[in-house]
Amino acid sequence: MSRRAPLLVTLVAFLLPLLWIEPRTYLTLTVAGLAMGMLIFLVASGLTLIFGLMDVLNFAHGALFSWGAYAGFTAAVLLNQRWGWAAAPSVAANVSLLVIALAAAAAVTVGLGILVERVIVRPVYGQHLFQILITLGATIVLEELIRIVWGPNDQVVPVPATFQGSWDIADIVVLKIPVLAIVLGAAVYAGMLGLLNRTRVGLIVRAGVENNEMVQVMGHNIYRYFTGVFAAGSALAGAGGLMWALFSQSVRPAMGGEQLIFAFIVVIIGGLGSVTGSLVGALLVGLSYNYVAFLVPKAAIGVTMGLMVLILLFRPAGLYGAAR
Amino acid sequence: MTPSPASPVRSARLEERRRRWRDPTLALRLALVAAFAMVPLVPSFQAMDLALKIALFATLVASYDVVIGYTGIVSFGHAMFFGFGAYAVALALGRFGAPDYGHLALGFAAGILVSAAVAVAIGTFSLRVKALFFAMITLAFAEFALILAVQWSQVTGGEDGLSPTLPGVFAVTYAGRVLGVAVTGRLVTYYAVLAACVALFLVMRRFVQSPLGRTLQAIRDNELRAEALGFRTFVFQILASSFGSVVASVLGGCYALWVRYVNPESTLGIPIMLDVLLMVIIGGIGTLYGGIIGAAFLLTARTLLPDLRGLGAALFPGSEIFQRLADRWLLYFGVLFILVVFFFPKGVLGTVRERLARRGAPGEV
Repeated sequence: MSRRAPLLVTLVAFLLPLLWIEPRTYLTLTVAGLAMGMLIFLVASGLTLIFGLMDVLNFAHGALFSWGAYAGFTAAVLLNQRWGWAAAPSVAANVSLLVIALAAAAAVTVGLGILVERVIVRPVYGQHLFQILITLGATIVLEELIRIVWGPNDQVVPVPATFQGSWDIADIVVLKIPVLAIVLGAAVYAGMLGLLNRTRVGLIVRAGVENNEMVQVMGHNIYRYFTGVFAAGSALAGAGGLMWALFSQSVRPAMGGEQLIFAFIVVIIGGLGSVTGSLVGALLVGLSYNYVAFLVPKAAIGVTMGLMVLILLFRPAGLYGAAR
Repeated sequence: MTPSPASPVRSARLEERRRRWRDPTLALRLALVAAFAMVPLVPSFQAMDLALKIALFATLVASYDVVIGYTGIVSFGHAMFFGFGAYAVALALGRFGAPDYGHLALGFAAGILVSAAVAVAIGTFSLRVKALFFAMITLAFAEFALILAVQWSQVTGGEDGLSPTLPGVFAVTYAGRVLGVAVTGRLVTYYAVLAACVALFLVMRRFVQSPLGRTLQAIRDNELRAEALGFRTFVFQILASSFGSVVASVLGGCYALWVRYVNPESTLGIPIMLDVLLMVIIGGIGTLYGGIIGAAFLLTARTLLPDLRGLGAALFPGSEIFQRLADRWLLYFGVLFILVVFFFPKGVLGTVRERLARRGAPGEV
C-alpha cells in the first residue's frame, strides 16, 4: 500500500454513513466528530512524540490533561467572578478569557510535565516496565491531588458568551465550541509540522526519533530535548483538557483517564511516533464514534475498538508507523 | 556406548531436581499452607474472609507474575480475565434455574474458554509488533469489558451485579458433619477455594520451571537473542499470557464462590488491576511467591484503614483538610507505588533472595 492509501480508504469510509443518515444530520455529526478527533489529536500527538523520541510510554499524560482542564477552569472562574468576562457580551473580553485560560492550562501542565520528566521518568529511562509502573503511580497521585484541591465532584465550566450556542448555516446546526476545537487542532497540527520540518530544533527532534544515540554523538544534549518535548507534549495535553472541558461544559477528576484510552487507541492506529498518523487516527476515531453513537448508541465504544483491531490486522505497526 | 556428557542445561535441571526435597524453604511453604488451613479455628468471620482473600489475591498476583515477571510483557487486562471467570460462574449459577454442580462446572469451563480465546486474540494482533502495544491494548480492552458489564444489564445485572446462590455443600444453608465435627457451607467453600489456590500455585510453579518457562525467561531477558536461537518468541508470549489469563479466570470463579457477589467494580475494574500491580511490585516481580507478601500487606492495610481513619478523626477533630487527606487513601497508594519502584524495585522477596544469593546460600523461597 502506498502512503496515500490509508487516507483514501478513510475518505470513502466516511462518506459511507450518508446511506443511513440524512445529509444535514450527517454534517452536524461530522463537525462534532472532527472536533472530538482534534481534541483527541491534541492528547495523542504529545503522547506519540514523547514515545517516538524518548521511547517512554507516558501513562501520566491523561492526568496532565485533567490538570490542564482544572487549571484553565480555575482561571476562567476567577476572571468571571472578578470582571464577569465570560458572561459579558463583549467579544474582546470573551476571547481574552479563553486565551488566558489556555495560557494557564499550558503553564501549569508545562510545569508539571517538567517535574514529572525530571523527577519521575528520568531515573528509569530505558526500562519499559518501570516506566509504565512509575508513570501509572504519577497518574494516581496527580488525579488524587485534583480531588483534594478541587473536590471529587463534577463542576460546571463557564463558557464565554461568544462561544456559546450555534450558527445556522442553510439549516445546518453548527455548534461554536467544536469549530473552535477544530481550528485550534488544525493550527496545532500545522504548527507542529512547521516546527518539526522547518526548524533546527525540529530537525534534531526528528533525528532523535530515528536514532538518539547518534544525535548525542553529534554533540547535542538529547536530555534537554527530552525535557522540551515532554513539556510541549504536556502543554498540548493541558490545552486539550481545557478545550474538552469547554466542549462538555464540565470538569471531572477522572476525565483524563478516559481520554487517555482514546489517545492510546489513536496512537496505535496512527503508528507510534508519527504526528500525521495520530491526526488521521484521531479523526477516524472521532468521526466513527459520532456516526455510530447516532446510529447505534450502545455500540459507540465498541466501534473504536473494532477499528483498532481491524487496522492492526492489516497494518500491525499502525497506519503510518515504522515497524521498529 | 558411553553416555554422552550432560549438557549444561541438563545438569542444571538435575541439580535442581535433587535440591527439591532438601530445599530449606519447603518447610516454610508447608507451614504457610498449614497456617491458612488453621485460620477457621479463629472464631471470627473477618479473619477467615481476610485469610482467604489473601490466598486468592496471592495466587492471582502469582498468575500475573507469570506474565509480567517471567515473560516480561505488561498486561492491564489481568483483572478483566479475573472478572470473566467471576461473571461466568455467577451467570452459570444464576441463569439456569436451581443451581447444581453441573452449572458450577459449566461456569468454570465457560470462564476458562472465554478467557483463553480472548487472550489468544488480543495477543495475536498486539504482540506482533511490539510487546509495548500489549500494555495499551489490554488497557483499552479492560475498559471496554467494564463498560460492557455496566451497559449490558439484562445479562450482567449492570452496576448492581449478580448474587449467585451456590449448590449443594457450598450453599449457605448447608450444615453437615464430617468426622463428628459440625461443618457449614462457608467452611466447605473456604477449604475448596484454598485447595484450588494451592493447586494453582503448584501448577504455576511447574509452568515457570519447565523448559517452556525457561524459554519465556530467555525471551524476557533478551528477545533478540531468543529469536536468533530459533524460538518463535511471539508464540511463546501468547502462550504465557493465555496461561496467566486462564489461571486468573479460575480464580475469578473462586472469588465468586467465596464472596457470592459479583459486580463490575469489584471484579473487572481498573482498581483491582492497580491492587494486583502494587502487590506484585511490593512482593517482587519475577518471584512467584512474592504475591503472598504483597497481598497480605495490602489487604491487611485496607482492612485496618477504617480504624486508622477513626483514630485520625479523634486526633484532629473538625479538620477538613485532614478529612480530605484521609479520604484519599488512593493518594498514598500512588506515592507508595512510586517509592517502591524507585527504592525497592526488586520487592521484598526479590531483595531477600538477592541477599541470600550474595551470601552464597542456595536458598530459593
